[in-house]
Amino acid sequence: MERTAIYFDGRSNRRRQVTLAFKDDLEISEPSEPPVRWPYADIRRTDSPAAVLRLTSLTAPPLARLEIRDAATAAQFASRCPQLDEKLPGQRGVGLIIGWSLAAAASIVVVILFGLPLAADRLAPIVPRALERRIGEAAEVQIKTIFGDKTCEAAAGQRAFDKLLLSLREAAGLDTSVDSEVLYTPIPNALALPGGKVILFSGLLAKAENPDEIAGVLAHEFGHLKHRDSMRNLIHNSGTSFLVGLLFGDVTGAGALIFASRTLVTSSYSRDVEQSADTFAMDVMKKLGRSPKPMGELLFRVTGKQADGELNILASHALTEDRLKRMSEADRPPTGPPLLMPAEWTALQAICGTKS
Amino acid sequence: MSFLRRHPPAPPPAAVKFSDDRGRFFRLVARGAALELQTIGFYRFWLTTDIRRHLWANTEVDGDAAEYTGLGKELLLGFLFALAILIPVYIAYFLVGVEAARLKAFASFPLLAFFYLLGQFAIYRARRYRLTRTVWRGVRFWMDGSGWSYAARSALWSCLVLFTLGFALPWREAALERYKMRHCHYGDLQGRFEGRGWDLFKRGWWIWLAAVGLLVLLGLRKYFTPAPLIVFAAAPFLYAVFKAVEWRWWISGLRFGAVRFESRLRQGALVDLYWKVIGWSLLATAAFAVYLMLCTSLIVGTSKWALAKLLITGHLQDSLPILILAGLGYLAFILSLSAVRRIYLQRDLWDRVAASTVVHNLARARNVSAMGDIADAVGEGLADNFDVVAGF
Repeated sequence: MERTAIYFDGRSNRRRQVTLAFKDDLEISEPSEPPVRWPYADIRRTDSPAAVLRLTSLTAPPLARLEIRDAATAAQFASRCPQLDEKLPGQRGVGLIIGWSLAAAASIVVVILFGLPLAADRLAPIVPRALERRIGEAAEVQIKTIFGDKTCEAAAGQRAFDKLLLSLREAAGLDTSVDSEVLYTPIPNALALPGGKVILFSGLLAKAENPDEIAGVLAHEFGHLKHRDSMRNLIHNSGTSFLVGLLFGDVTGAGALIFASRTLVTSSYSRDVEQSADTFAMDVMKKLGRSPKPMGELLFRVTGKQADGELNILASHALTEDRLKRMSEADRPPTGPPLLMPAEWTALQAICGTKS
Repeated sequence: MSFLRRHPPAPPPAAVKFSDDRGRFFRLVARGAALELQTIGFYRFWLTTDIRRHLWANTEVDGDAAEYTGLGKELLLGFLFALAILIPVYIAYFLVGVEAARLKAFASFPLLAFFYLLGQFAIYRARRYRLTRTVWRGVRFWMDGSGWSYAARSALWSCLVLFTLGFALPWREAALERYKMRHCHYGDLQGRFEGRGWDLFKRGWWIWLAAVGLLVLLGLRKYFTPAPLIVFAAAPFLYAVFKAVEWRWWISGLRFGAVRFESRLRQGALVDLYWKVIGWSLLATAAFAVYLMLCTSLIVGTSKWALAKLLITGHLQDSLPILILAGLGYLAFILSLSAVRRIYLQRDLWDRVAASTVVHNLARARNVSAMGDIADAVGEGLADNFDVVAGF
């Protein structure tokens, strides 16, 4: 029984008209060339248009192709080649892909939720201090580019500030590697930079009504330094970005999804970190015999009521009213001496020259 | 006996024909999207492969169909390798960035240029992967050349394009394509690119002018309120016409040895495709919005929390059901968008471009010897990581 087909030998692209003989093996013959034999068990189907049966052989050159264009010949192969459709990609293994993907996704989620906080806790303490300080210096350069490079150090104010820092440091159990300075800017905020520097914005001094308010905020920032929270956030955030990116990869348009899940995870972590810094601040104030409530009041004065604002699961800090509530619950009459005398407090508020 | 040498009439050009079962492609894409949803996106490697297999296998040149021999597994491996390469790159980037930023604020921004280079490298290597998996008449295409050299050229040209507000774009495309095609081979036949920047400019200058005009119009929206509307209505037309002009110019510049490609794609040939994508995308967006509202009311209706309480508790766990439902819905939404894009901008666009194409002198490539090796898919993996469109 002889039939015709088109054959490409995989060594050149010459289109060969061949005759097929179905013997013990498939025999592909071209006039004036020795026949090529393909064992039936080695013959596999490859991709082709619907009207063509395109075959290859495991033992032939990898790109050798035999093309059959009539149904009767194609039927011959269907009956003779038992493993014709084996290994055709996309036919099998979909269940396997789903299973492994879900396993991979589950393990990524577990690592994000449990592994990363643990890694951040364990790795942050072993980040070299020198590296941390360098990161802090880089951040400081950026902050001073944004907010201006005017450090306030009027002599009397600086003396009061140093006195405040000394008591806080002692109560917080920190050494002089932790320092602070006042930066002139109307924005009411304070930042703890990696490596041990707290930057107090003069805008916060202007909003404050007594030394305890500022002391609480500084103690909160010292809490971040004590816990090395910058490093923990850095490790946690970069790990989250990487893993979330790994999870969704380049599914087109997943950018928003990646951003949202990353924000959710990192802000949840950040709220935990902030809460423990608050706890630290409350402890420090307690040691100093002062109430933590003024800090909450200052925060509330700065942010106002927040509950109606942004979506709170995306916020990096707990709601100010909740923080105020927590600090008010710990409120008690002062047992320790005032942190600053009224004259010192006035001087501190004027550290930027005028009463800023 | 005639002394005149008669040239035989030039043989008619060979046709490029794309004839598939569109319904089959639709089912492939729909099934792929469903599987992507179930695998949180990991199925993309296999879906991409299946789409290419479909497109390649149904594209005939001179009566013989091409074949795509790549595997989803290879793309997955390429992706994982690219990740492994990127981890130290990210860490190095961070450390160098810290040092740079200590000296001067935001001095680390130029380092981002490195990622642009890496993206261009990925584009080159991704094309190389695709080309080496493309087989026609039992002989594969292949590619040599250096991805880094390409990335450097691309970066320099991009600077020029930025500097000239897009005016230099045609010359950039021509130069980069010349580099790429010079390193493309089909068996022992070397490729080259003969399209000139000037030709693309002649066909497309008015599009550039119109785009600049639209930007100006957008800038004047304070004085002319309907300006944004006009811009958003006109932009898809312009883009579709630009793509058609670009495709035609690109194909007509392709050469392999004596073989010459030619496209006669009309300028307006792709306009309806882009509008169909926009229409279906708007519909999908509306469906997603309705789904979100249903989800929220369902959760609020069945749970003990009031909506307001749900939003202010400040704890992730409390509103987790909404988040998960919304996340899954969003995933379904973007997957349906990409299904729409695959149908119109991959299959239908491929169909129209192929139908417009003929091949001259194909007889001169009747006995090409096989040469060249397959390349790895790390470039595709990098492209996947950066979300750069590797194109062709």
